Amino acid sequence: MPPLLKYIARRLLLVPITLIIITLTLYGFAMLVPAEQRAQLYWPSNLSPDQMTAEQEQKIVERIVHQRGLNDPFPVQYLNWLGNMLRGEWGWSPNLRVPVLDYLQRRIPVTLELTLFAMLLFIPLGIVSGVIASLRHRGRVDHGFRATAFVATSIPPFILGLMMISVFYVGLRWFAPGRLSSDIEILVKSPAFHAYTGLVTIDGLLNGRLDVTKDALLHLAMPVIVVAALPWATVARVTRAGMIEESGKEYAIAAQARGVSQRSIVWRHTLRNTLSPVLTASALSTATLVTGIYVVEIIFNLKGVSEMLTGAARFTALDVAAALGFAVYSALLVLVIMLLLDILQAVFDPRLRERIDA
Amino acid sequence: MRMWRRFFGHWQGWLGLLLVGSFLALAVFAPHLAPPSDPDHPSDFKVVGRKTDQIPHPPNDLSPLGTASGQFDIFYSVVWGTRSALRFGLIVAGSAAVMGVLVGAVSGYAGGRGSALTLRFTDAFLAFPVIAGVWLFQSIMFPSAIGADPTPLMAFLAESNITPVMVALIAFSWMPYARLINTGITRLKMADFVLASQSLGAGRRRLIFRHLVPNSISPAIVLLARDIGGMVILEAAFVFIGLSSGGPWAEMLVNNRNWVIGIAGNPLTYWWVYLPPTIALILFGISWNLLGDGLNDALNPRDR
Repeated sequence: MPPLLKYIARRLLLVPITLIIITLTLYGFAMLVPAEQRAQLYWPSNLSPDQMTAEQEQKIVERIVHQRGLNDPFPVQYLNWLGNMLRGEWGWSPNLRVPVLDYLQRRIPVTLELTLFAMLLFIPLGIVSGVIASLRHRGRVDHGFRATAFVATSIPPFILGLMMISVFYVGLRWFAPGRLSSDIEILVKSPAFHAYTGLVTIDGLLNGRLDVTKDALLHLAMPVIVVAALPWATVARVTRAGMIEESGKEYAIAAQARGVSQRSIVWRHTLRNTLSPVLTASALSTATLVTGIYVVEIIFNLKGVSEMLTGAARFTALDVAAALGFAVYSALLVLVIMLLLDILQAVFDPRLRERIDA
Repeated sequence: MRMWRRFFGHWQGWLGLLLVGSFLALAVFAPHLAPPSDPDHPSDFKVVGRKTDQIPHPPNDLSPLGTASGQFDIFYSVVWGTRSALRFGLIVAGSAAVMGVLVGAVSGYAGGRGSALTLRFTDAFLAFPVIAGVWLFQSIMFPSAIGADPTPLMAFLAESNITPVMVALIAFSWMPYARLINTGITRLKMADFVLASQSLGAGRRRLIFRHLVPNSISPAIVLLARDIGGMVILEAAFVFIGLSSGGPWAEMLVNNRNWVIGIAGNPLTYWWVYLPPTIALILFGISWNLLGDGLNDALNPRDR
């Protein structure tokens, strides 16, 4: 098996281990809630409590508590719950009045689209600006870069988002909030438009409707910039620091002495050695990225996964199923992004792949 | 001495110290700078004028930074907000740091399989977005929502004004500290001075807390300084999206958000209702970051 595949396989094995640790902790916290409330987690998805009287509902709750052993010791309960989750039964949210998994699944494309474009923006841009700043080390460009990066890390994303909305949406009227313009939205929901992926930008291309893609991109521009600002600064800083360090190393000086062009030294030698720590830094801050994405979704009124937060958290009724489902789903999202970044790192860094064989 | 010279050698250090010092002074002298209407029970907000007046008034003699909708004095809340910001940042970042240092120290000293297992746990927690944790704690921590008698732990938390957001942030921010200390201790464990102390009969506890932790704590202190500002800004974000209630700065921003967005054409028409708390928040974050940079220069000189 090629070393890269071996690396991916080993890395994939880590995902369930991490998930078990996370779910163990989460269910441990959920045990603090009375058993009757945890019954939400096992509510049959084909049975809506809306049409029931309070007594009927109470009866079902009691039956669930009894059948599912919700007063059993923690390990038994945990395994029951985990098995249920694996079967796709994530429970019923009493606040949203829907099955939890359904709700999340329907909103994931919006979140994925935002994540995808933010990453396509901040990783390449961060690397390129970091390289340029390092080439102009201590020059005017470098100082300008450091100031910009400082501002990008200092302004809280929700304030940046608010400023963007007031300037570009309300003041200049360049963009409109939401995911799509209303006429495009009608088109996308019509049967003539086939939803291949749920990501409107890509579906627009696949349907040959460039106007849909363009409209979606226009709506995405501001949220993507707000999401990308902070990780851009991180990537660019790590790249800059790494490039400055690498270019002082002997192999780089030797290459220079041999007459290798500056461009070739930077893009073919020093950058390749810098990319690994850059991707590690990005992977480590993935959870922060996801938190940022949720916040931006809410501020820009994109109805992604985080709509569950605004939808259910405002109500007073205790909603374990929604909170727990949201937590597990978010952790899954983080793990998938981390996995992709790690694989990307192994593609660039042979040391990572080879270490496993040794 | 050399350490302090390095700290003040760069502008980051002294500017950070100056700014953090000003915030501390604002918090300490809040009752004199912005006298509350009831000195015995100072609240976070003060009304100057008629409460029914919904239009914000620009800065005037009664209120140096103007008033928000409902005639809440902006200056008053900005000043008193420093208290809750400092309290929140210090409690949350401090507790997370203590927890992380303990985990990192014990696992680093134990080494071997125990250390590997702890690191696996730490990495798993790192893959968890804190926003989901805030919601989870929000839903399980409120006895009123559960409708049951509060457990002793919950009663204690409610009594000492520890909010679910604080618990969640502590529970999901200790990991970097644990990693830093674990690495430091693993590297130091075989150092000569540690072995010497051990051969003189020093106990486990003495080794860890007198030798290993003090010698590997400096990166954690730098991180702590930066986290104090970061936590307050995170809290403000959670308040802003309606996930919790919070300090006066964030509450002011949320309550007045319509005066920022709602005015067509010029977002600066009602600048005084949102700029002061925004600037306070950003400055608070920046000042702790600068202090962290200064401490980094002083404590980890090789990092430069």
